[in-house]
Amino acid sequence: MIYKVFLTIWMAVILVAAFLYTEAATGFPGETSRILFFHVPQAWVATLSFLLSMIASCVYLARRNVKADDLALSAAELGFLFCVLATVTGSIFAKASWGSFWNWDPRETSIVILLMIYGAYFALRSAVADPEKKRVFAGVYAILAFLTVPFLVFVIPRITASLHPEDTMNPANPGMDPKTLKVFLGSLLAYTALFVWMLRLRMRILRIEGNRIEGFRD
Amino acid sequence: MKDGLGFVMGVNLVIWCGIAFYLFVLDRKIKKLEETHTNKER
Repeated sequence: MIYKVFLTIWMAVILVAAFLYTEAATGFPGETSRILFFHVPQAWVATLSFLLSMIASCVYLARRNVKADDLALSAAELGFLFCVLATVTGSIFAKASWGSFWNWDPRETSIVILLMIYGAYFALRSAVADPEKKRVFAGVYAILAFLTVPFLVFVIPRITASLHPEDTMNPANPGMDPKTLKVFLGSLLAYTALFVWMLRLRMRILRIEGNRIEGFRD
Repeated sequence: MKDGLGFVMGVNLVIWCGIAFYLFVLDRKIKKLEETHTNKER
């Protein structure tokens, strides 16, 4: 309970700091660089979720533990949600920077492919009726799906010419303003904690749903 | 502070408060459902 209250306050502090404490980065139109505090943590959480979904799927396939499958599903759902949020915030930035919400830039195209891959994961889960088979198929698919993530998120957008800013937004860049770096890292932490909270809620819902289904069978 | 920045921040804060409130309510509802299920098992 305490960490949830702390997170609520922490995220509010980050929001205020993102707009009032930091300065807008040079080289970007107006205040658009402030998207860094929202868009990048969303993309980070999406990648983290897909990684967690893959690990949980491996655990399920090795041990046939239903909890691991619940974790894989919950993580994939949240990964999809945060991926959509990152796409939407990216589009808003694209409109301000490049004049159009969608430009079919390599980064935009790869994120759409990623969304389609994980969309197919949910389609697969809903297409198989037998729960045991569903979990096995979904587990194998989640592992295969994650193999595409490093290519689509990190490799392809970097080996092709892209409009997407890299150096200026890279936290490893020593040129990043210390104030911006502080708020950015705080935002990463806040989004990760929010993800953990949402993940636990989703898993508890899945457990209740699972218990109800078992109750009907009894 | 530039014009409109405070407004955008305010809107963001309101949205976050709404999300946090929803998550707290959801947390409470799930807790009640879990308790109901535990009582049924007993």
